Amino acid sequence: MSGELESVKAAITAYKFKDIEGIVKNALDAGVDPNDILNNGMITAMTEIGEGFKENRIFMPQMLVAAKTMQKGVDVLKPYLKGGEAAYCGKIIIGSVLGDVHDIGKNLVAMMCEGAGMQVTDLGADVPAERFLDAIASNQDIGIVACSSSMTTTREATKKLAEAIKSSKDGARVKFMVGGATMTQEFADEIGADGYTADATSASKMAKGFMGGA
Amino acid sequence: MLSIKDNLEETLKGGSPDRYVNQWEYMDLVIDPIFATSFVPYFTPVGPEYYKNGWGVTITFPEGAPGSHPVHGPGYTVLEDVTQWENIVKPSPLDLPDEAWKDVEKAAKDIRDKGEKHVSLIMAQGVFERVHYLMGMENAMVSYMIEPEAMHGLIDMITEWEIESITRNMEHTEATLLFHHDDWGTGTNSFLDPEVFREFYYEPYKKIYSHFKEMGGELVVHHSDSYAANLVPTMIDMGIDIWQGAIDANNLQDLAKTYGNKIAYMGGIDDAIVDVPDWTPELVRNYVRAQCDKIGTSSFIPCLTHGLNFSIFPGVFDEITKTIDEVSKEKF
Repeated sequence: MSGELESVKAAITAYKFKDIEGIVKNALDAGVDPNDILNNGMITAMTEIGEGFKENRIFMPQMLVAAKTMQKGVDVLKPYLKGGEAAYCGKIIIGSVLGDVHDIGKNLVAMMCEGAGMQVTDLGADVPAERFLDAIASNQDIGIVACSSSMTTTREATKKLAEAIKSSKDGARVKFMVGGATMTQEFADEIGADGYTADATSASKMAKGFMGGA
Repeated sequence: MLSIKDNLEETLKGGSPDRYVNQWEYMDLVIDPIFATSFVPYFTPVGPEYYKNGWGVTITFPEGAPGSHPVHGPGYTVLEDVTQWENIVKPSPLDLPDEAWKDVEKAAKDIRDKGEKHVSLIMAQGVFERVHYLMGMENAMVSYMIEPEAMHGLIDMITEWEIESITRNMEHTEATLLFHHDDWGTGTNSFLDPEVFREFYYEPYKKIYSHFKEMGGELVVHHSDSYAANLVPTMIDMGIDIWQGAIDANNLQDLAKTYGNKIAYMGGIDDAIVDVPDWTPELVRNYVRAQCDKIGTSSFIPCLTHGLNFSIFPGVFDEITKTIDEVSKEKF
């Protein structure tokens, strides 16, 4: 790995939010391939951060600052990336289920998915099933939907969402993932979800696996 | 048979309680007007409407939700840039007419006269939650790292407000217990690294809890229904007597061994397991018994981890209470 590429990676793992733009520009000026900066600098760095978060060595502020540092770096990089949208490894729809206004867990999953190179369509929190279905129907190239459900009182909405997606005309092509404080593998199996993960890093890995890029 | 208060005292000092302290039995919460103004709406769902609390935070409490929640986004978030807190944040009013205190004075006196339970103030949100209610969670989390000086300033201001609130409350209620609600983590970890948590919150909480005890308070009960085992040393140093909401993931049996009777754990009965739509008495009974067997009797107050003295699904709380009484007869 070149020195400039190493600097980009280090800027994310050391949370250099205020410095990342200059560091990415330096790497570009030094002739480092933009896609190399994204894949081997930024995404590699976020993978390390994600593993640390999963293992409880890295905490929420660090994780968020690393993700925001990467976002800021990607903004500098975007005009130079070859292939435009093709630079993404896949796409995912994400949201918190109806009745659940919590969004921090959902946002962490979105950031980790972006950090892994995915394009994320974030529907927000307290999202009715109809909005998930509309997003699926109008994005035929998206095959993964991840929902967050944090309260025992939103289990029913999660179950209904699973039923609505699976019985829709797009149901067969969509992988449905669940997560959140009160979700369990047992409950995910019960409602016919394709996947459950207990943390944002694992969710991002599972989504990438569904995309064939694990 | 020991009185409720004596049984609690024996449990806290590692003495000879004659039964488990059963959930919230030692606490009688009073609703003071400062809390009511700063927290609106509380306890009761208000439907899909949005309300502003005393700090200007937009709150929603939809039907069916277990509690209220702040609303954030363009047009809602009070403090987008923490460096501007001095210009933007207006604390909830503390100067209230004497008339506003009449009900709580009477409620506190009635509890005091009966003598069975502690007159208990409720402080919610706590300092940590107040910060992210004002700023939004993500913004607050990021600002601990990017704008630490401004965060300290904001936290100090909220701390002084809480101290002043306690002063006024004690003048009217002579409360002996402070129940402080401040969630410090998720189900798997604390939000903040323990060192960062100590840097930002040890001194403020030490000041708040010391002030309460200097004014005649006896017990501090702090709610955080999360993983926070890594914060226990700081909790002890802050002056917390009972950690309410301690979920099973904290391995309460190990904490009790490590820290002895420096702090008690009120929880161990996770609402995610039993406070569910399809609960059954058998599920509750088996789980409560298993948890009491696992955690033991030292420094442990078996309790649903929910942050108030009721369950979301009717019947669960009472079934837990009943089972704890049964288990007590076998273990003490």
